[in-house]
Amino acid sequence: MTPRELVERADGAGPLPPSLLTRGLSKSFGLTRALTGVDLRVDAGTVHALLGENGSGKSTLIKTLSGYHHPDPGGSVEVGGQPLQAGVASSAYDLGCRFVHQDLGLVDTCSVADNVALTTGFPTRCGAVRRKALRRRTEEALQRLGLALDPDTLVGGLAAAERTGVAVARALADADRTSVRLLVLDEPTATLPDTEVKQLLAVVRAVAASGVGVLYVTHHLDEVFEVADDVSVLRDGRKVVTTKARALTRRELVEHLVGGELEEVSAASDSLPTAHAAPVLRVQDLSAGPLVTANFTVRPGEVVGVAGLTGSGRETLLPAIFGAIPRSSGRVQIGDVILAPGRPDRAIAAGLTLLPADRVRLGGVMSMSARENLTLPALRALWRAPRLRRRLEVAQARTWFERLDVRPRGAVDAPLGSFSGGNQQKVLFGKWLRCAPRVLLLDEPTQGVDIGAKAEIHRQILSAVEAGAAAVVSSSDYDELVALCRRVMVLRDGRFVAELSNGALTVAEVAREALGSEDRAA
Amino acid sequence: MSASPPARPRPGLGFDRFSGLYLWALIIIVFGIWVPDLFLTMGTLHSVAAQQAIAAIVALAVLVPLAAGAYDLSVGATVNLATIIVTVLQADKGWSMWPAIGVTVVACFVIGAVNGFVVVVLRVNSFIATLGAASIIAALQSIVSGQRQPLPPTSRAWSDLTQREVLGFQIVVLYMLVVAIILWLVLSQTPVGRYIYAVGGNAEAARLSGVRTGTWTWFSLTTSATLCGIAGVLYASLSGPSLTFGGALLLPAFAAVFLGSTQLYPGRFNVWGTLIALYALATGIKGLQLVTGVQWLADLFNGVAVITAVAFAVWRQRKARSKRDATASRRSKGTGGAEVDVGGVTPASGQQPAAVR
Repeated sequence: MTPRELVERADGAGPLPPSLLTRGLSKSFGLTRALTGVDLRVDAGTVHALLGENGSGKSTLIKTLSGYHHPDPGGSVEVGGQPLQAGVASSAYDLGCRFVHQDLGLVDTCSVADNVALTTGFPTRCGAVRRKALRRRTEEALQRLGLALDPDTLVGGLAAAERTGVAVARALADADRTSVRLLVLDEPTATLPDTEVKQLLAVVRAVAASGVGVLYVTHHLDEVFEVADDVSVLRDGRKVVTTKARALTRRELVEHLVGGELEEVSAASDSLPTAHAAPVLRVQDLSAGPLVTANFTVRPGEVVGVAGLTGSGRETLLPAIFGAIPRSSGRVQIGDVILAPGRPDRAIAAGLTLLPADRVRLGGVMSMSARENLTLPALRALWRAPRLRRRLEVAQARTWFERLDVRPRGAVDAPLGSFSGGNQQKVLFGKWLRCAPRVLLLDEPTQGVDIGAKAEIHRQILSAVEAGAAAVVSSSDYDELVALCRRVMVLRDGRFVAELSNGALTVAEVAREALGSEDRAA
Repeated sequence: MSASPPARPRPGLGFDRFSGLYLWALIIIVFGIWVPDLFLTMGTLHSVAAQQAIAAIVALAVLVPLAAGAYDLSVGATVNLATIIVTVLQADKGWSMWPAIGVTVVACFVIGAVNGFVVVVLRVNSFIATLGAASIIAALQSIVSGQRQPLPPTSRAWSDLTQREVLGFQIVVLYMLVVAIILWLVLSQTPVGRYIYAVGGNAEAARLSGVRTGTWTWFSLTTSATLCGIAGVLYASLSGPSLTFGGALLLPAFAAVFLGSTQLYPGRFNVWGTLIALYALATGIKGLQLVTGVQWLADLFNGVAVITAVAFAVWRQRKARSKRDATASRRSKGTGGAEVDVGGVTPASGQQPAAVR
């Protein structure tokens, strides 16, 4: 018996209106279309999985539902049969939409009960919190989801899945609980250890069983088959399929996700010679966070790609090599130099550079000028006591602006924060090229960058490598990896599971390995 | 996006960067018309310059750690301790002047080194670390002074150190200018200054660029305490030892530095902006005191100034950030990255240390 049948019977008077119904939903940012005519239907009491690669429009869809984005005119959204007022945050809430984002928004230093009450309100008597009533209410809310937690424990002390559970309980625990129609879970398992995923899926099932429609956004195929009734796949802003999860094989799902772009050959990577020199970067038994173990070497003149889903260890690999984050074990060697862990300054001195994925938080000092950012890692070359050679510095900055085509060209003294994302990234890329590195570690080098800047950055990577450097590119954009790299290593669950090169290096193959589709062709 | 140039951020030459100078000029004109015979005199000029010279050195001491993103709230206590040490060594222990000064400055250097250790190695928030240090230093001062105001040394050399005039100005004004020029050189013309501003602007990004963030934080706190030692010595020579002088300097110093960060190079704590702010405030206070004769004006003025300056700086930052957000949401293709990016701006960017916001 499926949950839906339960709901229909409990209702008595025929099926409930769908929890969510979108027709022709579109959203553009300037000239970029992030969503194109999406029709989506989530029935009450079912779990509807929504899949899509990075950039397929999942987040835009969710933000449009929550009222953060204003959709393009022409489309419609209904929640529980009621039309959603586009772009109004309170409208989504009033109609019974609840969202649990990846960042759960819990206060670690408060108890479970307090966290739940922060949104639902505290029961009080004469202004004082009625602790017993609060406790009872929280316990009930948790029990409905099958969570046996003490409401007085601090949230900071809970396991990751329990924390997500608390966030779900809070989303559903309203004064009038019956009003909740739709629960949107945005990649709730992305940062969850495998052992805790099951626990969370049980919570999701319990929510659906209570008659709420669940829109479940995920990267993980296993969960789709385990928890979902229906599946929809987004690709390039369009919905490519909606189907019953039962009627779907894993292989079909992967094909839907990656599309027809099967055998794409890249000219760029073929033209690059693989040098036969000794490796310049050696990584041995490296482990850090979700990264269990990594072993590989990179030669001068090589561009090596690293692929993997969120949580596969891909995000920690490059920072751990560089020393940006601590590593729990392993050895990193540049040429003959063994790098001390946690010392970016020594890594840079040895010829290693890292372009971090988070440009604003880790990449540059936004309050300083582009020129000052460009010269920060290698200032000594400009130092002739007692002063920095300002004129030389400006000239160098202009040269780099020219070389990387940074716009506006003359603004070398403008704060970095005032440039567009693509131009910021070019400046930061130039900052590392200026150090003449032996190895470039590039973490999502073109994330949030427009097409023109992306091509420019790719050109620069290839020309640096031609000049004898080595590059390791970690990216969630498989097209980018296939276009840039001679070989791509794929991480899954903290280990390298495949190394693709030559004919085997296609976008579809990288995606298959990253997703871990078992029934792939041999 | 590469087609749409970001707004030219070079600030105009108008009220924005030089508002302090305009304000200063306005104050002088107003009081010049109001009480010309009291205000528009060389005496007023000399006395304002001299009275504020030591306060200016303390403000510069506060400036260095703030540029590196750290607070030093122990400056006042350090100045007091320095006045007491340098006096006790000479008057009670019979030391000659230069060794006494040397030991005093070294003692203050050590205080700064300990502050740096607590902030960098023990990772105590600088606000708390130096607040605690201030209390400890006050206790040290009581121990050294034996709870009484020591008698000032009587040597001629000691009073000659500061009680001389150059071009009609007391020589402390010259000392202050020397300190300011050296600091300006270091902060704006050397790699050290770049590193310090980078740490203050975004410590993690600076670290990932190879900047030794801990070293420079430590350096900035040590510099701050050493400057306080110098300020204390000068004050002791000028006005005699004091148990309370330093405490009264803390707020004016912060007021000048924050107000100064809106001047010349907006958003950046800088030497000349600090001095302009300090002297503009002092001139206004002096004028009002000449007119009204009340003493509480300085407190009122400085309190209002520090709050206004920080409110203005925060408002500026918010404006800059909302402009950046607009850019961010335009470039986002909806991968969720945009929102995270924008959220990430808050802790990292901007020159104001976290506690200001």
